[in-house]
Amino acid sequence: MAERRSKPKNQAATTAAAPATPPEVVLPVLAEKVGVYICHCGGNISDVVDVDKVATEAAGLDGVAVARHIMFMCSDEGQKAIVDDIQALGLDRVVVAACTPKLHEATFRRVLQRGGMNPYLFLPANIREQASWAHPHSPKAATEKASALVRAAVAKAQMLEPLEKVRVAAVHRALVIGGGVAGLRAALDLARQGLGVTLVEKSPFLGGRTTQLHTVFPTEDPARLLVHRLIAEVKAQPNLTILTETEVVALTGYVGDFTVTLKTTPRGVNAELADRQAAIAACPISVANEFDDGISKRRAIYQPYPGSEPDLPAIDWASCTRCGDCVTAAGGRGIDLKSDPIETTIETGAIVVATGFDHYEPRVGEYGYATSPRILTLPQVHRMLDPEGPTGGRLEIDGRVPRSIAMIHCVGSRQIEDVDEPGPDGKLHEYCSRVCCTATLQAANQIRQKYPKTAVYDLYRDIRTYGRDQEPYYVDASKAGVVFMRFANDARPTVELSDGADFPLKVTVTDTLTFGTEIEVPVDLVILSVGVMPRDVTGLIEMTHAPVGADGFLLEVHPKLRPVESAIPGLLLAGTVQAPMDVTESTSAASAAAAKVTALLAGDHVEMEPFVAKVDPSLCDGCGLCLDACRYAGAIAMQEVEIEEGVLEKRAYVNPVACKGCGACVPSCPVSALDVAGWEIDQYKAMIDAITAEPLTAGARS
Amino acid sequence: MAGTPTETQATRMLVVATLLCSYPGIDATGQAHMEYPPNTYVIPTPDPVMFPESFYLHCFEKGIDGILIASCGTDSPYEGSYEQLAARIPKVYAQMKARGISIRRLKLTAICSVCTKAFLKEVSDMEAVMAELGPVSGEMTAVTA
Repeated sequence: MAERRSKPKNQAATTAAAPATPPEVVLPVLAEKVGVYICHCGGNISDVVDVDKVATEAAGLDGVAVARHIMFMCSDEGQKAIVDDIQALGLDRVVVAACTPKLHEATFRRVLQRGGMNPYLFLPANIREQASWAHPHSPKAATEKASALVRAAVAKAQMLEPLEKVRVAAVHRALVIGGGVAGLRAALDLARQGLGVTLVEKSPFLGGRTTQLHTVFPTEDPARLLVHRLIAEVKAQPNLTILTETEVVALTGYVGDFTVTLKTTPRGVNAELADRQAAIAACPISVANEFDDGISKRRAIYQPYPGSEPDLPAIDWASCTRCGDCVTAAGGRGIDLKSDPIETTIETGAIVVATGFDHYEPRVGEYGYATSPRILTLPQVHRMLDPEGPTGGRLEIDGRVPRSIAMIHCVGSRQIEDVDEPGPDGKLHEYCSRVCCTATLQAANQIRQKYPKTAVYDLYRDIRTYGRDQEPYYVDASKAGVVFMRFANDARPTVELSDGADFPLKVTVTDTLTFGTEIEVPVDLVILSVGVMPRDVTGLIEMTHAPVGADGFLLEVHPKLRPVESAIPGLLLAGTVQAPMDVTESTSAASAAAAKVTALLAGDHVEMEPFVAKVDPSLCDGCGLCLDACRYAGAIAMQEVEIEEGVLEKRAYVNPVACKGCGACVPSCPVSALDVAGWEIDQYKAMIDAITAEPLTAGARS
Repeated sequence: MAGTPTETQATRMLVVATLLCSYPGIDATGQAHMEYPPNTYVIPTPDPVMFPESFYLHCFEKGIDGILIASCGTDSPYEGSYEQLAARIPKVYAQMKARGISIRRLKLTAICSVCTKAFLKEVSDMEAVMAELGPVSGEMTAVTA
């Protein structure tokens, strides 16, 4: 048995509850029965990396008991090989050289558990994303690199110590941020599982964007009826609190025990308001009505639609001048113009983020947008087609039904560098918004049904009604006489004003369905099928540190292995905060998030990864410099330790619940008494030693 | 391909990558089959703020010729860690100078989880530095001599 390379380590992390007596210093030894497994990944690795050579070289390393290469390590066969070797050979550490650990680290830890080992005695080596895929034209060099990465993993694995998850007492309450369909669905599912739920909605009304629709595809259910059924069920839950006009303004803590500060702005209106219409009519303010996507106006005291939830007007404090006309009209009852917000603090075990999305707003001039009232976005047309909308369901421009309409797809979606200009937010939106194709066809069918004499031209790049029961929208549109034209990626249609002509607008498209024929389409109305944009939740991102993707949506850890989980433990994602989704998908994601929260908070405790700081009390001299380095309250502190009989001295100790595992304390220690469990400095040094142990050959450079 | 070296002297680059930001960004580079020199070795870390000055010196002494610290920058999920890390780098530079090691061999960068092009550029730049300076052992030997 070889001695470890450097200073001895304590046997376990010192914790708040740990005994204060320094343990006897024991010199641990390097593990000597390491199993090494090289994955072919069905050729993804082995087509470039000589896996047989890597395995052979690994087998020759000190401490390696077995080295194998297998077609798919994540398969049953691969997993069984590890379990068999653990039991037959008594392996004490396992290294798997395969894909990125983000994919299968958890898988292989479970394999070790099945074999009877501590799961944290596993170490991955990433030889797919960081070798075979990154160096496909340098097979010798990729193989040499893979061998070096395996050497490094073995070196670190030999120094790994068994770890146990950190357990935290769980608060059996969940916070749901966002009161749209996803937030409502998540809140309902959570409450039905017996958890206490706080649902906060930033706006004065529940229901979100779905309430702006008349019907939802593919069922054609009345949208508001659907939402209000959900709201009724939510309100019926005794353990659920709904707070509208409420934002999260501060957040501390960790999974199982977050402390959240909420700021609630007064509604300004209460149930004593007898004549709401008189109060609204008395308001002299007129602003764009966001509920109608700007095609109508509203007052500073307003209600988006009759029967909204809550069924009470609210005051838009940003627009209100406090003139008091509404108070007078209401007879002095039911309206209070004091707008001072109230802050409250709640404890919650987990948080579901369901903050929704925004529609893409085209640049001025993009397909003629904002240069003519005859160029509208699809959400605006949805409001016009709504019988309870601002036009009573009439699609009319200047009092006339359009004779001819062009609908243009992919506006603000699938944008291409050097073809499209960035949107008003300065960004290119390269992703597909997914829901717009079906939404556009749904509107096209409604228009053709309602106005059979109106010609509808559908201009698309690609079209896909991808969900169950959505293809009929395309079939129906074809049967209804909607004329489809297809444009190429680099040849967008143009929209021009045709002053004095019979039709006020002219759309020109090079149609690839007719072999590149340039077609001029005279129309009365252009409808821009705008994409789905991530809503600006910067404040929430800063508070939670939730990772954001390049597209601006919040990232889940892994779409298949850990869907709807953010990288922040206890923070789940529901609906369009994560990606463009339709109502069906949003509610599915919300139910998934609720199920994960329920599982997370099912017991008395929440388990967290054990990668937190630890102190070696035999080295710590109690200088306290680590306290200054740590930014987390209560994560590290000093406690008195009896170093010998009757002699007390201060030593650092780590509260593993409060510690985030960043390691900021580690370099602050002048005697190297601190480390992060699983990420120890000596383990890193061993990796460097292993990487540089063999000279690079000429192959490594070609 | 970002800066494929053609010189004969073999050099090694170490990339210290953060689990939440640059490591997935580097993975994304591989997933896109965007190539970079194979003498680049990535080690993951929760946060490079954990490394003391001595770690970097250990790397150079063992034959690592260039180090990129691919941090999360100010997007670090750990409060104040980037500022603490940035404050440590001048101390590392001072110790590198004392040993005759060019401070160009160590660079603090910020690479996000989708920053594939930024990663390739940083690798390419450090490759150029290593190609110009040659192996670090030469510098350290010169000081010893």
